[in-house]
Amino acid sequence: MFAGYDFDVIQRSLPYLFRDGMTFTVTLTLIAMSGGIVFGTLLAMMRLSSFTPLSALSGGYVNLMRSVPLVLVIFWFFFLVPYIGAWAIGANEPIRVGAFWSAAITFTMFEAAYYCEIMRAGIQSIPRGQVWSGYALGLDYWQTMGHIVLPQAFRNMVPVLLTQTIILFQDTSLVYVISATDFLGAASKIANRDYRLVEMYTFVAVVYFIISYALSQVVRRLQDRIAVIR
Amino acid sequence: MISLKNVAKWYGSFQVLADCSTEVAKGEVVVVCGPSGSGKSTLIKCVNGLEPFQKGEITVDGISVGDPKTNLPKLRSRVGMVFQHFELFPHMTVMQNLTLGQVKVLGRSREEALQKGMKLLERVGLSAHKDKFPAQLSGGQQQRVAIARALSMDPIAMLFDEPTSALDPEMINEVLDVMVELAKEGMTMMVVTHEMGFARKVARRVIFMDAGRIVEDAGKEEFFGTPRSERAQLFLSKILHH
Ligand SMILES: Nc1ncnc2c1ncn2[C@@H]1O[C@H](COP(=O)(O)OP(=O)(O)OP(=O)(O)O)[C@@H](O)[C@H]1O
Ligand SMILES: [Mg+2]
Repeated sequence: MFAGYDFDVIQRSLPYLFRDGMTFTVTLTLIAMSGGIVFGTLLAMMRLSSFTPLSALSGGYVNLMRSVPLVLVIFWFFFLVPYIGAWAIGANEPIRVGAFWSAAITFTMFEAAYYCEIMRAGIQSIPRGQVWSGYALGLDYWQTMGHIVLPQAFRNMVPVLLTQTIILFQDTSLVYVISATDFLGAASKIANRDYRLVEMYTFVAVVYFIISYALSQVVRRLQDRIAVIR
Repeated sequence: MISLKNVAKWYGSFQVLADCSTEVAKGEVVVVCGPSGSGKSTLIKCVNGLEPFQKGEITVDGISVGDPKTNLPKLRSRVGMVFQHFELFPHMTVMQNLTLGQVKVLGRSREEALQKGMKLLERVGLSAHKDKFPAQLSGGQQQRVAIARALSMDPIAMLFDEPTSALDPEMINEVLDVMVELAKEGMTMMVVTHEMGFARKVARRVIFMDAGRIVEDAGKEEFFGTPRSERAQLFLSKILHH
């Protein structure tokens, strides 16, 4: 059945696939996850603010990000970030931003919209009385958020945040539109060079599946353990 | 110490509080009672600014709660509050619950805060539980920790919102005992409760609320003797008969 296929190509290219490709993918995922959760949490706090301009701004941003295809955002950011950066620092020429950092900024901004919705649900799941008792002790808004609400919200939401991160991990493969060498990009370069498309793409699919599946099992285990007992 | 003058509050077009005026002098214990939905919780939350109010004036130790220039966190740090559902922080140990405010708000050192926390836990009889999480304690124990947490800030007055009504009957007394002791030490207290035994024992005055109004504000003897309003009489006969 496998006559005519050359699966050795995989073994030959393993170092390149993992050292270059997978490193890019994992680093991008981790950066976008951390940045996205931090930015997303700020967006969620804004969105829950009773000050209408803040909540409207955050709501508009989240809805915008959730209504455009990710590929387009990646594409546009790649071309726009150099100009925005130049404008921000007042330079005359577009600044040089590599594919990696362009992707990192894009994914952080894009995923923040999704993490925002998760953190918003998490914050809302904390009883009002917790906030009151924080305030009653004399804590201010930031202290109450930082010591009481967010730690509980975050812990309750860890499984959902991780599930979103698994999606993010898969979505990072879309950086092919800016010709970045992520795991998929590296594999497709080899595939086209050696004309081994079936072998390489099958391998890529299997690897994505194994990693995503393993992570989702971890999430399931965590689910029961990590929530705050009350 | 605590003074309310013609306080009124609306939720949208619904008036929760109307023309509420009263005083709690230093060292006085005042019990607030009334039927469900009469605005007791709302009133007591207005006292430390947890709920905003639209009309009237509330002052605590001479400081106006409604004034936008007032530093509310600072004011609140001087007024202890105990809630119906305890509201301990479930992700922190008992001791962490007791030291958080001391360290973050009062700027005490960790050692100082731990010492104070330990003293208060001994006082409420829970020093053996200092490293447990709230969920590992019974309701009565949690409420005693909550009282200790409020006391850790050395408050000038204490507010209680139905501190025993979420407890199983056999745990009510362990909490009331702590409160009685506090009252006898001269703590200024405003207590929303239906525990008339507690009111009889330590209250100076009893306030009866109905539909957002203070209907009765009388000395304890007078209130339990012959309440002037019919509503209060009816209410008393209901809760004293079970
Ligand atoms: N956030 C809110 N929005 C609108 N109405 C509210 C809100 N909170 C309370 N109310 C209403 O205000 C009234 C007074 O509520 P409050 O909780 O102060 O009553 P209570 O006397 O403490 O009652 P209970 O004995 O049940 O605790 C009730 O009718 C309640 O439905
Ligand atoms: Mg109430």
